[in-house]
Amino acid sequence: MDASTLTRQAADASADAPVQRRPSLAALLKKNPSAFTLLLIVLVVLTVALINPAFFQLAVLFDIVRACTTLGLFALGVMIVLAAGGIDVSFAAIAALTMYSITKVVMTWFPETHIAVILLAGAVGGAGLGVLNGLLVDWLKAPSLIVTIGTQYLYRGILLTFVGTVFFMNIPHAMDSFGKLALARHDTANGLHAVLPATVLVLVLASVLTWWLLNRTLMGRAVYAVGGSLAIAERLGYKLRSVHLFVFGYAGFLSGLAGIVHVSSTRLANPFDLVGSELDVIAAVVLGGARITGGHGSVVGTLLGVLLVTLINNVLILAGVPSTWQKAIIGAFIVLAGAVFALRREK
Amino acid sequence: MTSQTTSSVSAPPAQEFLRLQGIHKRFAGVHALRGVDLTIHAGEIYHLLGENGCGKSTLIKIIAGAQPPSEGEIYIQGQRVAELTPLASLSLGIETVYQDLSLLPNMSVAENVALSEQLVHHQGRLARLFDRHALNQTAARALRAVNLPADADFLDTRVDELPIATRQLIAIARAIATSARMVIMDEPTTSLTQKEVDALVKVINGLRANGVAVLFVSHKLDECFAIGGQAIVFRDGEKVAQGPIQQFTKAQLGQLMTGKQLSQERYRVDAQLHKPLMEVRALGRHGAFEDVSFALRQGEILGITGLLDSGRNELALALAGVEPARAGQITLEGQPLSLRNPGDAITHGIGYVPEDRISEGLFLDKSIRDNIVTTILRKLRGKFGALDAAACQRFSTDTVRQLQIATPDVDRPVQSLSGGNQQRVLIGRWLAINPRVLILHGPTVGVDVGSKDIIYRIIQDLAQRGLGVILISDDLPELLQNCDNLLLMKRGRIVRRYAVEGLAESELFHDLVSEQSQET
Repeated sequence: MDASTLTRQAADASADAPVQRRPSLAALLKKNPSAFTLLLIVLVVLTVALINPAFFQLAVLFDIVRACTTLGLFALGVMIVLAAGGIDVSFAAIAALTMYSITKVVMTWFPETHIAVILLAGAVGGAGLGVLNGLLVDWLKAPSLIVTIGTQYLYRGILLTFVGTVFFMNIPHAMDSFGKLALARHDTANGLHAVLPATVLVLVLASVLTWWLLNRTLMGRAVYAVGGSLAIAERLGYKLRSVHLFVFGYAGFLSGLAGIVHVSSTRLANPFDLVGSELDVIAAVVLGGARITGGHGSVVGTLLGVLLVTLINNVLILAGVPSTWQKAIIGAFIVLAGAVFALRREK
Repeated sequence: MTSQTTSSVSAPPAQEFLRLQGIHKRFAGVHALRGVDLTIHAGEIYHLLGENGCGKSTLIKIIAGAQPPSEGEIYIQGQRVAELTPLASLSLGIETVYQDLSLLPNMSVAENVALSEQLVHHQGRLARLFDRHALNQTAARALRAVNLPADADFLDTRVDELPIATRQLIAIARAIATSARMVIMDEPTTSLTQKEVDALVKVINGLRANGVAVLFVSHKLDECFAIGGQAIVFRDGEKVAQGPIQQFTKAQLGQLMTGKQLSQERYRVDAQLHKPLMEVRALGRHGAFEDVSFALRQGEILGITGLLDSGRNELALALAGVEPARAGQITLEGQPLSLRNPGDAITHGIGYVPEDRISEGLFLDKSIRDNIVTTILRKLRGKFGALDAAACQRFSTDTVRQLQIATPDVDRPVQSLSGGNQQRVLIGRWLAINPRVLILHGPTVGVDVGSKDIIYRIIQDLAQRGLGVILISDDLPELLQNCDNLLLMKRGRIVRRYAVEGLAESELFHDLVSEQSQET
């Protein structure tokens, strides 16, 4: 009896010690879930830099930013759908359908179209396909996962059956120069030049717009309300249909833009492209602190998640990590982040 | 009817705000409201009284626009409202504090309190700017009115990080944040301390002085008398009385709510109690219930009742191993048990039929057969460990016959059955394990009268066969009709024990709602 009491007291005492230190970290995580993502980013950067000091170069930074752009546009769309309690896996198919169709139309009939018009067409086309997702989710009262799995096959099928399967190795002039446009240029010691592409501006503007929509409009607040609880939001007078149409339409809008940016920067319109990027994007969003159950998610967190996934995909190679290991590391981070976020909820 | 017409012709003392005429509400198989006429005047306080299941909650949902009536007309300030949506109800100034509080757990205190104001102001249109400054101001004003802090830190706190009593006050703050014309409060005081209740009474009096109508639902009659105003008594979906609450005594109100119980037949006759079966000693789980002790004999039906916050639900979950107790001991036929999960309970022959059969119990889209055999899959194993389909069929068909489940075959999905039949499928599942103890939690919630009768007969039959039955319910007639003994819980403790034979419902009701009772 006495012995067990003593051990229990000892256990209590030893449990007290870490509790003293923990609140700061726990409180930080609670206030700002993306702090954990930032921590992982710092960890990866330090590891890579220790092994290979060549990491700290402007050229590497420019490469990472370039690689972030498409992923980031997708991720912002997925994040806003997740925040409203849904999920969208059709964004890559939407991007592929809009980018390839628009490239083909511009190439065939309007080769001199201005890039602004092309971007606008991508955005409008993507938004239209997204709104179709939203309508289906709202009419069928079906889980958005099922609906968007269905529509992504549908969109991809339409693309390959009716639009075409041939690569465009030459893309419209306006897209080509948009992809080459440099915000900054840096000549490295070994005579190569690193370029910060102007396409990144699309991601910057999209991030600002998404942040503004989520934090400064009633629609943004309604997104979180519906994500918190569909039933309660409905009882409080939120129009579920408007929210559904908005989030899926907006995700489609960003996907359409992402498609055009992708073609412009790779200078290739490949109808089989972008397939399989879905899980990378969802991984980035979840690592950025959004919850798969809805109601949470921020622009800053999502961008950090995108940065983390991009770092793992692009720079671990500099540290001599074989590319086959990158998937394992992303997987481990997701499990770790899941555990940390779950613990945070317990408290 | 006539008195209402005349009162609206001759100048009434206060302005009519809301009038309901001939409201009916039918759910699948249940007639929840049977022709309700009700007039609510501005600046008056109403206490909506009645037992659970009498139609109070349904009435509130109709006024709040959460559910449309099946029949009947709604007038607000004399204008007929054809379709009352949640947003329309809010725009007309009707604010509701729901029993489940209806707070959004992922959003901040300020947003929960004051976002509705902006939503209603823009008539539900979402393509509008969100004004955080106005949000914080409105929220701070409302929070101060219910004595909550209104600093920036608190306004930004997420609601799921706050204790339940604070959430209740936040729900009340939301209702009074905007210029409400009528505030409905469905049991707003369940988790509040006396001090907080006093503050709430002040808020309510302030609302009345400003010409706001308040519809207050509470089981705590003392509170109702302290607040004053009109009493409206509901029973079985009908309004049975209305008048100034001071003209009634507590006993009269109890009588009106419960109705004449003399005609009610007692199902429990010639009870044969055998040797002790289960004993519970000093069971407790911090914050839920404490020091709960009782004994259950073979063939005994033991009732446990109490209000929503009494700990009865938590006790039921502990006995079923769902949320294990932390202190105390449970013995079954002299053997100490450790119930750490529902599997342990099943192994020891303790069956648990949960309160919410939809979310906790049944696989709605699976067949009746699959639902019945799910606890005994191991027993129905045939060759090579695969399920013996014929045995499953035989077993479930027997259960369906025995429990008089109304279905042409056992292949139908459970969701095609009525509430009473669903409940019987759930009971059948637990009979499959040949339980020694069966815990029934609210077995007739949302079940029509005919099904109730059948379920009661099944319960009696089980006890007759020597099972120990624990019946946890807030349906007082149900407990009086079925139990041998009854425990009353309050604030997590057993405060009174009754032998049910000859116990009057009015006495039980009085004990249930009175503020102070001691263990006897």
